Amino acid sequence: MLLYLFRRILLVIPAFWALATLVFLLSRLLPGSFAEERVLQSDAGFYNKSDAASREAAYTAYLKKSGQTLPLFYISISPDNIPDTLSQIFPEARRQQLQQLAFKHGSWEDVAAYDEALERFINPLTPSIKSKVSSQLQVIRFSHEKTEIAGALTTIQKKIAELGAPQNYYNELTLAFNTLSKNSEPYSFLLPELRWNGLENQYHQWLSAIIKGDAGSSYRTSRPVSEMLWEAIANTFWLLFGSMLLTMALGLLLSIQMSRGKMAWLRRLSLPALFVLDSIPMFVLALLLLVLLANPNFLQLFPVYGMGYYQAPDLSYLQRTAQWLQFMALPITCLVLVNLPYITNQIYSALQAALHANYAQTARAKGLKEVAVIRRHALPNALLPIITLTSDFLPALVDGSIIIETVFAIPGTGRLLVESVLARDYPVLVAIVVLVLAVRMLAYALAEGGYAWADPRIKQELS
Amino acid sequence: MRKISLALICFLLLVTCCSQPERAPEEVRVRLASEPETLSPIGYSDAGALQIINLIFQSLLSADLGTNEIKPFLASEMPTVTREDSATLFTYTIREEARWSNGTPVTAMDVAFTLKVAKAPLLNNESLKPQLEFIRDIKIDSENPKRFTFVCAGYAPEMELLTGDFFILPAYLFDPENLLQHIRVAALSRDPSELENDKKLKAFAAKFNTPAYGRDSNLLQGSGGYTLEHWENGRYLTLKRKKDWWGKTSNTQHLTANPQRISFQVIPDITTALLALNNRQLDLLENIPAAEFEQLKQSKQFLKDYSLHAPDAFEFVYAGINTRSSRFLDKRTRQALAYLLDTRNLIKVSHQSYATPTVGVIPPSIRKFYNDSLQSYSYHPDKAKKLLSESGWTWENNGWYKITNGRKERLAIVVSYRAGNTNFENAAVIFQQNAAKAGIPVQVQAMEGSLLSQQSKEHQFDVFFRSLSGNPFAFNFKPLLHTSYAEKGGLNYTGFGTPESDSILDRISTTVTSEAELATLLKRLQAIMHDEAAFIPLYYVKERVAIHRRFTNTKVSGLKPNYDVSAFTLTAE
Amino acid sequence: MSLLWQKISGVWQSKLGFKVSASYLLLLLAIVLLLPWLPLPFAPNHLDLDYTSVKPFSERAWASGHILGTDTLGRDLASNLLYGARTAFFIAFPVISLATLLGTALGVVAGFYHHQGAKLLRYQALFYLLAGIAFLYYSVYVPAKSIKLGLGTSPAGYALLTFFSLVIVLWIVCRFLLAKVTCFRRVWVLPADAVIMRFVESLSTVPRFVLILVLAAFLPPSVPLLSLLLIFTMWPASARLARAEMLRIKQLSYFEAALSIGSPTIRLLWHHAFPNLIGPVLIAYIFGLGGLLTLESTLSFLNIGVPGTLVSWGRTISSIRTNTAAWWLVVLPGSLLSITVLALYTCGHYLSKILTAKA
Repeated sequence: MLLYLFRRILLVIPAFWALATLVFLLSRLLPGSFAEERVLQSDAGFYNKSDAASREAAYTAYLKKSGQTLPLFYISISPDNIPDTLSQIFPEARRQQLQQLAFKHGSWEDVAAYDEALERFINPLTPSIKSKVSSQLQVIRFSHEKTEIAGALTTIQKKIAELGAPQNYYNELTLAFNTLSKNSEPYSFLLPELRWNGLENQYHQWLSAIIKGDAGSSYRTSRPVSEMLWEAIANTFWLLFGSMLLTMALGLLLSIQMSRGKMAWLRRLSLPALFVLDSIPMFVLALLLLVLLANPNFLQLFPVYGMGYYQAPDLSYLQRTAQWLQFMALPITCLVLVNLPYITNQIYSALQAALHANYAQTARAKGLKEVAVIRRHALPNALLPIITLTSDFLPALVDGSIIIETVFAIPGTGRLLVESVLARDYPVLVAIVVLVLAVRMLAYALAEGGYAWADPRIKQELS
Repeated sequence: MRKISLALICFLLLVTCCSQPERAPEEVRVRLASEPETLSPIGYSDAGALQIINLIFQSLLSADLGTNEIKPFLASEMPTVTREDSATLFTYTIREEARWSNGTPVTAMDVAFTLKVAKAPLLNNESLKPQLEFIRDIKIDSENPKRFTFVCAGYAPEMELLTGDFFILPAYLFDPENLLQHIRVAALSRDPSELENDKKLKAFAAKFNTPAYGRDSNLLQGSGGYTLEHWENGRYLTLKRKKDWWGKTSNTQHLTANPQRISFQVIPDITTALLALNNRQLDLLENIPAAEFEQLKQSKQFLKDYSLHAPDAFEFVYAGINTRSSRFLDKRTRQALAYLLDTRNLIKVSHQSYATPTVGVIPPSIRKFYNDSLQSYSYHPDKAKKLLSESGWTWENNGWYKITNGRKERLAIVVSYRAGNTNFENAAVIFQQNAAKAGIPVQVQAMEGSLLSQQSKEHQFDVFFRSLSGNPFAFNFKPLLHTSYAEKGGLNYTGFGTPESDSILDRISTTVTSEAELATLLKRLQAIMHDEAAFIPLYYVKERVAIHRRFTNTKVSGLKPNYDVSAFTLTAE
Repeated sequence: MSLLWQKISGVWQSKLGFKVSASYLLLLLAIVLLLPWLPLPFAPNHLDLDYTSVKPFSERAWASGHILGTDTLGRDLASNLLYGARTAFFIAFPVISLATLLGTALGVVAGFYHHQGAKLLRYQALFYLLAGIAFLYYSVYVPAKSIKLGLGTSPAGYALLTFFSLVIVLWIVCRFLLAKVTCFRRVWVLPADAVIMRFVESLSTVPRFVLILVLAAFLPPSVPLLSLLLIFTMWPASARLARAEMLRIKQLSYFEAALSIGSPTIRLLWHHAFPNLIGPVLIAYIFGLGGLLTLESTLSFLNIGVPGTLVSWGRTISSIRTNTAAWWLVVLPGSLLSITVLALYTCGHYLSKILTAKA
C-alpha cells in the first residue's frame, strides 16, 4: 500500500516536470512584457519627461541585466532565424518591419545589415531633406514589400541627386537592400530551422534555479518569489481550509439529515433553497453580505475589510484567534455558502445511491435503525465520491478566493495571481501555477490512496 | 451530530459579539487601491508609492497643493537659470537647516550621489534614468557645499521643473563604503558601458538591487518628516512622524509634518472602501464614483463627520481621429464627427456634474490661458451632415460614399478604447448611436491597453478615446502635437499639425518668456486645434474626495494626490 | 427511449415543480427564438439619453414608455432582459454542447481503454506522431506568427497547404512503405487513459477564472474567443464523468459478454455504452448550463472577456456600479437569472431521479 503510494508519487514527478516546462514556455510566449509596459509605455502629458530613445536604451539595458535577451529554450525553430527575444533589442518602432522582412525573406543577417545601413543613411540627413522625402522614408522604414521599398529607393535617389546631398550612404543602403533581395528565400518559413542554443538559455537557468529551490524574484517588487508566495499562502490557508472543513461538515450534516425518512420536510425545503443559493453569483453574494452585515445603516456585526490591525501585537493566542475570526467570518461564510450547494448535492446523491444498494436494504431488513444504517453502511460507501470532491476543492477555492480576496481586502494567493497577471510578473505567475499544479497532483495521488483505504476492493487490486 | 451543531452555534455566537476596532484620533487613515510594489525613491512605479515616498524623502522642488504652485522644498529658493548656446545651467542652494535622520546636513554631495544612482548602469533605475537623461553634469560650488549647478543639454521650458523633480538620497546611508565616489556624473552621461565592469559599481549594484532598498525602514530614511514604521504586506503600512524634524524649525508654510501617524490601508475594491468610510474606519477616500458622491452629499449623518470636496483635476478625456486615413484627410469630415460626440450627455451619464466641458487642451480652470472665445462642439447631426456633403461625401444606398484615388469608399468607422474603462465605453456607444443617426456605421472595439497604444503608434486606428493628465505649471505640447513627432512610433498619434501650429509649438518650447505672449500663443493653438478637429478634448474631470471633519488645513487640490496629508491638523474641539 | 418519455410524462403529471419549471423554460426558449419578430418598443442597445436611470413603474417610466425602467445609459430594461436571455442561451447552449461532446468522447475513450490501453501498430503511431508535429508547426505556429507580424493570411494559407500535402505524403510512406517492414508492424500500446487523465488533471489545475483573466489581459474581448475558452475549460468535467461512467458500464455483465464475443469497438460503444451513458451526461449538461449562465453574468459584471456592446444580464447588473441607488438593475436581471437557473436545476433534479430509478 505504502509502496504503491510511493510509486504513484514517483510517477507524478516526470508529468509534473513536463507540465511545469509547458507553463514556463507558454508564459514567456504571451504578448507584452513587464519591462515593455513599465519602461517603454509612456504617454506624453503637458510636457515631455523623457524621449523615446533614452527609454529604449533603458529598456534594452534592463533586458540584458535580467537575462531576458537570452534565447528561451535549448532549441529554437523560428523560421525567421532569430530567437524572438533577440529581436527585442531593436527599437520598438523598427522591430516589426525587421521581423516581417526576416519572416518573409529568410536571412536575419541581411535584414540586420539593411537596418544598420538604413540608420546610417537617415541619421545625417537634414530636416529639410527629410521632409522632402518623408513619404519614401516611411516606406523604406516600415514596409515589408520588396517592390515598394525598391520603388521608394529609386525615388529617393532622384531627389537626393537634385538636392545635391552626399551619395555614399545611399549607395551602401541600396547595396544592403540588394543583398537582402538577392538572398531572399520567399517561402523559407515553410521549412522550420532547428537551431541549438546551448545551455545559456532562459529555461535552463530557470530550471536549474528551481531545482535548487529558488523560484527567482518578482519583476514588480524584486523580492524572492518564494517569500511572497508563502506570505500569501499564510494569509489564505486558514481561510480556505476553514471554509473547506466547514462546508464538508455542513454538507455531511445536511445530507444525512435529508436522507432520513422523517426529515422529508427538510429535504423539500433545503433542496430548492440550495438551488437558489447556487444560482446567485459569488460577487453578488459577497457584496450582499457586506452591505447587510457590515453596514452602520443596517446591521453592524462584522468589520468590513482586512485581517486585523497593527495596534494589538501583545494579545494572547486565544485573543488573536478571536480577532482573526471576526475578520474572517464574512469571507468564510461567503465561501461556505457558495460551495455548499454543490457539495451537499454530491454527498446527498452518493448517500442515496448507497441507501438503495442491496446491503443497505438488507441492513434495514435486519431491523437496524435508520440512522444506524446511514452511518454504518451507507456513509462508508459514499466516502469515495467525497474523497474525489475533496481533491477537487483546492483549485476551485483558488478560483473563488480571487473574488473574495478582492472584495474583503485579504492579500492571498488569488489576489497575488491576478496582480501578477495584470502586471505581467511572470516569475510569480509561473510559481503560483506550478505550486497549484504540484499540490493538485499530490492530492490526486493521495486521493487514490484514500480510495484504497475506503474501498477494500481497490486495495486488493493495487497490491 | 449534536456536537457539530453545538460547535457551529458557539462559533456563530463568538463571531456576532464582536464589534468594530477602536480608532486613535491623531492617526490619519488613508485608502490605497493597490499596494505599492516598492518604496524605492529611484524605482517606484505607482501613484500610491509616490505619495508615500513624498512623505519620507524630499525633492528640490515640488508642488504646494495649497496654492497649486511649484515651490522650493529641499532647495532654499527657485534655481537661477543661465542659458548658454547648447546648454542650460540651473543653480540651486540647499536649505541651510536641512538634515538627514542622523542629524548630518543635506549637501550637494548627496545630490551628486543621487544623480549617479539614477544614471549608472547595472542598477534598477530604468524608470528614472530616461527622465534625467538631459542632466549631463553637476558642478559643486567649492566654497559652499550646499550650492551646486546642473549642466543640462539644450533648453526646454519644463527643464526647471524636471531638475527639481526627483528624490534626493542620503549618501551616508545608501553608500556608507563610498563605492560610487570615484565615478563622475559626466562620465555616466557619455557612454556608461565601460563602467559595467567596474568592481565597486558591481558591489554597489548587488546591494542596491536587493528589495531592502525599497522596503527596509532602516534604509528608507530621508530628509522628510516621516519614517516608515511598519509594513504589513498586502494589508497596510504606517508612517510615523520624526521626533524633532528640521522642517518644523524652518518656518516655511509648505514644509509640514503634522499628523503623528499616517496609515495607508490596502483596499482594492471601491465598494468595500466606501463601506469602510461609512463605518468611520477611513479618514480619507478619493476617487469616489460620481453617483456615490451625490448620495453621500444627501446623507446628513455622513456630512456630520465628513466634508466632501470636488476640486478641478488636471485630467482630460479626448477623442483622436487618424488624419492619415484617406477618409479623415479633410478637416470638414473630422469636424462633422466632432459634432456627433455629444459631450454634454456623456458628462451627464458618466460623471453626473463632476466634469467640465472644454474646447482645448488647457484646463478651463486656468483662466489666463484658456480660450473662452471658442464654442465647443455640441451634438448637431444636421451640421454634421452638411459638413460631410461639403467635404465631398455623397449620400446614396443608405451610406456616405466618396471616390478617393479612383476607389469608391464608404464612411464607416471603428472606435477603439481601452477595455474596462466605463467612461470611454460610454463615449463610444453614445458616438455610435449619434453617428448611426447621421448614417455612419460605427463599430465599437474595446482593446487591451498595451495593444491600443501599440496600434496608435503604428497609426492603425480610425477614432480612439483616451485620457491625459496634465498640470498647471508647464505647457509644452510639442511632443504631443508637433508634426515632427507624427511619424510611426511618435507620440503625435493623430497626425495633427499645420505649419502655424508647428511654429507656435516651436516658439513655446524655446523662446517665450512672458506670460502674456504664452497666453496669446496657447489661445491661438487651441483655436487651431479646434478648427482642425483631429485631437478633440472633450472634458476635464473633477476629483471627488471625502475627508474627516476632525482635520483642517487639508490643502485639497486638483493635483494628485488631491490633498496634502502631512499638513492635516486636528481641529480643536 | 419511449420508456423514458413515459416516465417524463409521468413526472410531469405528478410533480408540480417539474411542470412549472419545464413550462417556464419552454416559454423562455420560445421567446428567445421568436424575439427578433416580437414588437418591442426599443432596441436593446438604443440609448435614451433623456431618460437615464428611470425607475420601473414610476411616472417617468409610463411617460417614456420604458415600463420596466432604464439603466444608467438609458437602455430599456425590458428589451435588455429579453435580449439578455437570448445572448445567455446563444452562448451557453453551443458552448456546453460542444464541451460535453468533446469531453464525453475523450472520457469514453479513456474509460474504455482503461485496462488494456489503445493498441496501435508502430507505423500508425509514427504517422500520428509526425502528423501531430506537422500540425503544430504549420497549422498553429506559422499562421499565428504571420498574423502576429501583420503579414496577412497568405503565409498561413501556404503553410496549411504544405501541411495537407505533407500529411498525404506521410500517410503514403507509412501505409505502403513502413508497413512492409516487420519492426514497424509490432503493436505499440498507447496508455490512452493515463494520457487523457493527466491532461484533464493539468487543465483543471489552472482555475478557469485565471485562464480567462490571462487571456483577457492580452486579447481584445470577443464572443467567439470567450466561447472557445469556456469550451476549453469545461470539457474536463464531462470527460471525468464519462470516464467514470464508462468504467462502471464496463463492469456490467452484458457489456462484458459483448466484449468477449468480439464485437467491434464502435458497435460496442454505440449500442451498449451509449444508452447507459446518456442519463448522467444529460444531467451534467443541464447543471453545466445553469453554471454557465451564472459564469457569463459574473464575467460581464467584472468586465472581463465580454465586449461591452454585447447585450447581457451581467452588463445590466454591472451598470449598478455607476448608480448604486438603482436597485432595479440588480433585482430584475438577477432574479431572472436565479429563476432560470433554478428551473434548470429543478428539471435536472427530476430527470436524475427518473434516470437513477431506471438504473
